[in-house]
Amino acid sequence: MSDEPTDPQTDGGTASKPTSEEPTEFEEHPLEWDEPENNNKAPGERDSVSQPAEKFDDRKLVTGQAKYTADYEERFPDLAHAAVVRSEVPHGRVTAIDTDEAAAMDGVHAVLTPSSDAVPDAKYTSAGQSYPEPSPWDMNVLNEHVRYVGDPVAAVAAEDADTAAEAVDAIDVEYEEYDHVVDPEAAFDEDAPQLFGEDEVENEIVGHDYDRNRMSNIEGEIGDVDGSLDRDDVHVHETEWETIRQSHAQVEKHTSLAYTDEDDRQVLITSTQVPNHTRRQLAHLFDIPIRDIRVKKPRVGGGFGGKQAMVVEPIPLALSLAADRPVIYEASRDEEFYAMRSRHPMQVRARTAVTDDGRIEAIDLYALSNTGAYGSHGMTVAGNVGSKPMPLYSKVPNARFEADIVHTNTPQTGAMRGYGAPQGTLALEGHLDEVARDLDLDPIEFRQDHYMEVGDLDEIAGMMGGEGAERRIRSCGLDECVERGKEAIGWDDLEQPDEDHLHRGIGMALSAQGTGVAGDELGAAQIMMNEDGSFHLQVGGVDIGTGADTAFIQIAAEVLGCDENDIIVKSSDTDNTPFDYGAYASSTTYISGMAVKKAAEDAKERILDWASRMLDESVENLETRDGEVVSEESGDSVTLEDIGYESVYGHDDREHILGKGTHSTEESPPPFAAQFVDVTVDEETGEFEVNELVVAVDCGVAINPGMAEGQVEGANHMSYEMAVSEGVTVDERGRAEVSDFDEYGLPSATETPPIESILVETHEPTGPFGAKSVAEVPTNTVPPALSNAIREAVGVRINEMPVTAEKIKAALDGN
Amino acid sequence: MEIKLTINDESKTVEVEPDDDLATVLRQNGYTGVKCGCDSGVCGASKVFVDDEVKMACGVDAPNADGSEIRTIEALGTQDDLHPIQEAFVDHFAVQCGFCIPGMIIEAESLLADTPDPSEAEVREAIDDNLCRCTGYQKPVEAILDAADRMRGEQSVAADGGSQIRPDQADCTDHDGDTNE
Ligand code: FES
Ligand code: FES
Repeated sequence: MSDEPTDPQTDGGTASKPTSEEPTEFEEHPLEWDEPENNNKAPGERDSVSQPAEKFDDRKLVTGQAKYTADYEERFPDLAHAAVVRSEVPHGRVTAIDTDEAAAMDGVHAVLTPSSDAVPDAKYTSAGQSYPEPSPWDMNVLNEHVRYVGDPVAAVAAEDADTAAEAVDAIDVEYEEYDHVVDPEAAFDEDAPQLFGEDEVENEIVGHDYDRNRMSNIEGEIGDVDGSLDRDDVHVHETEWETIRQSHAQVEKHTSLAYTDEDDRQVLITSTQVPNHTRRQLAHLFDIPIRDIRVKKPRVGGGFGGKQAMVVEPIPLALSLAADRPVIYEASRDEEFYAMRSRHPMQVRARTAVTDDGRIEAIDLYALSNTGAYGSHGMTVAGNVGSKPMPLYSKVPNARFEADIVHTNTPQTGAMRGYGAPQGTLALEGHLDEVARDLDLDPIEFRQDHYMEVGDLDEIAGMMGGEGAERRIRSCGLDECVERGKEAIGWDDLEQPDEDHLHRGIGMALSAQGTGVAGDELGAAQIMMNEDGSFHLQVGGVDIGTGADTAFIQIAAEVLGCDENDIIVKSSDTDNTPFDYGAYASSTTYISGMAVKKAAEDAKERILDWASRMLDESVENLETRDGEVVSEESGDSVTLEDIGYESVYGHDDREHILGKGTHSTEESPPPFAAQFVDVTVDEETGEFEVNELVVAVDCGVAINPGMAEGQVEGANHMSYEMAVSEGVTVDERGRAEVSDFDEYGLPSATETPPIESILVETHEPTGPFGAKSVAEVPTNTVPPALSNAIREAVGVRINEMPVTAEKIKAALDGN
Repeated sequence: MEIKLTINDESKTVEVEPDDDLATVLRQNGYTGVKCGCDSGVCGASKVFVDDEVKMACGVDAPNADGSEIRTIEALGTQDDLHPIQEAFVDHFAVQCGFCIPGMIIEAESLLADTPDPSEAEVREAIDDNLCRCTGYQKPVEAILDAADRMRGEQSVAADGGSQIRPDQADCTDHDGDTNE
């Protein structure tokens, strides 16, 4: 999940195409990257990187020993359980809350309403982003002005979950109900009910117009798009697309435990992707010094962006302050669907100007994004609808993107894996397929004529971010992704079924993402050596089930020349691990991983210094390998264990060998994906079956190929869901119609087609050992590839997700 | 009220409320490998054996379990001595966040006890009510098929790397991870 750092409109929102008079922008992105020699290892030279090292927490996970937030319960004998009263009206004002009965119940320790002392009245955003947050401060912990069915109104803490639930039922809330609006187009209307009054938002975002429920409008352009569309030698195509409201549906619900420790500091054990952002946001909200809050992340049962937000933490913290005891809050699955976060549903219009011979002169995308009741991640997600997919076609001279982000009285949205790129990719890749058909061009060659290659300066990525946000492309495996994907799916020799009414087709789509937010990331790590030659690796990076901790170990082990088991990783505890922006924007391996590499190199320098004295050899001759430092010159060696003891207990000199690393960069290299979907459609009924998904991904050097494939397959599964499931639908009062997994279309094992993941190795010189990101890009591609496959099989186009048999049948019948 | 349970071969008398479900009771008694991902017995994360039958523990009323024999994930292998199914999950990188995994492994154990040589379709059918958000099921299915081979004493067919580092896997460009055919 990615986000833009600041107001993209600071430069007027449009960055003009650089000319030769503006050489500075090119100098910021030199063609040649000054890569340290040790960063580029041939496959045969790698000891730990790109090896199938065992995922370090797996043994605990498969034996049920790993501890997630809820598993800490047993350590707190006086733990209270929280439950939340949520608005039953889509829009209105709380006029009275009667808490008397609840407060008098046995076992109830605290009852909070918006006016309680322990509840902050400051506005904030739940978006877990860097500071200052590029999301509006438009919500309260508990709300009097409620804006959707699910807005938190009151909270209780009680001795057990059942009592808390009973207390919630005993609280009586009266509302004055206001008019509400559910449809984003209607919300944009001048006479629509207005969600935000004057003074109800701080930290407003560019392009806001709350009279029309618009939280933001953004636009960017390079070249002259209108001029290209007006040319008389081009075909102008226009298509429209619609995406679903998708739930993160991570199997571990949002869970957070707050207590005051023995030093009177506030501690949260919490299921989060962003410990440091959460600490800062809580500090601001509760007016507690940052240093007096500690956020610890245990094992996390999936996040996917849903936990790149401070969704629940303020509630247990406020309750624990009020009740003076530890409090845990675990959302219910129902709350997950109606009151946590979801992917922004969008309508996207794509336009292109293409010459007779198939040159794309201009691409123009417009998105209407439904941000729901609040604006967390609203502007930044919408920005990525353009800034992630469009740069793929960096050879196109004119490009424009605009988005309106609109409030409705529907559940809140937020960051979700792909972060706007899935919506934009559906529109762009579906659109290009249609154009290629119309002009009788090969859909792959048509794309290949315009897509990026190594050495390109990607100006489209800079289009929304202003000056300096362009990127130089230094690794690109698109050609190989396409070739290997074609071969795996059988692109050139597809067999048609024997039955006349069945038709088979393959659709394809391409995608690019980023790797971290350019210029808005920070990761840090430190390494301490133990006497026995083992190491403690402390890193801010956040493993939410992705395997990031294992990748950190492999990177450190590669530098230190030791066994992975000799590195003990401790991550994501704001008291004890260095700073990190958190697990989002596909940044963890690239940013936090590079910080680990630097920390390991720092420690290695000290190790070699000690070895040089112990072996009486110059440092230049020494290298770490297999738990030893070896002299290339004499063949002499000393073990890391000997160095560990000598450095700490030495006779003449003593030193604790420590290494530290911190990493931040202006770079954000794109990973790439080529998706292929093989489908069989029954022309009589519209029913379809997806036979196989193939996705080839260029993620640079995969630090752990098995884990990287897992990321690709899981992302493709999520992408498949976006193509075939309804997501979270809402009723006419904006209430989510899904209350548990059996009503939500998460594809099960029998419903999921086989997924073949292919890793295409390239070398990204700016990443640790050549790595770039992997986990988001395959989230973007199944909806367009499936739409294109259906088009190929039976000649009809489904633009509105999900693809269903009814829609295909209706289209076949000409409706 | 008190009920008697045999949990992982240990007899226990546990205190329960009349409306407690079995998942809550097991978790309160330290069996936190039993996970809860939904509200109504539909995600599979809380699967355990109740008298040799796989049940979603959150859907079993604790008082009704009185006298029954329970087996949880904690009864399978240990970290140092994994059960072959657990070992296959590790070797195939079939675990991401791990939250769904105990329930899935319990279901796999039940499948392989009845069907030692299942087809891929049978594996998918067996874990159809074990929801996983992370993996897309590809690697868990591969792991269960491989576990079946291991348990029948056949050579592991893992192509996704074993628990040991294998130098021949160094070049990830040759790594297609496709073991399901
Ligand atoms: S928690 Fe029991 S099946 Fe979901
Ligand atoms: S591994 Fe995360 S839900 Fe299955």
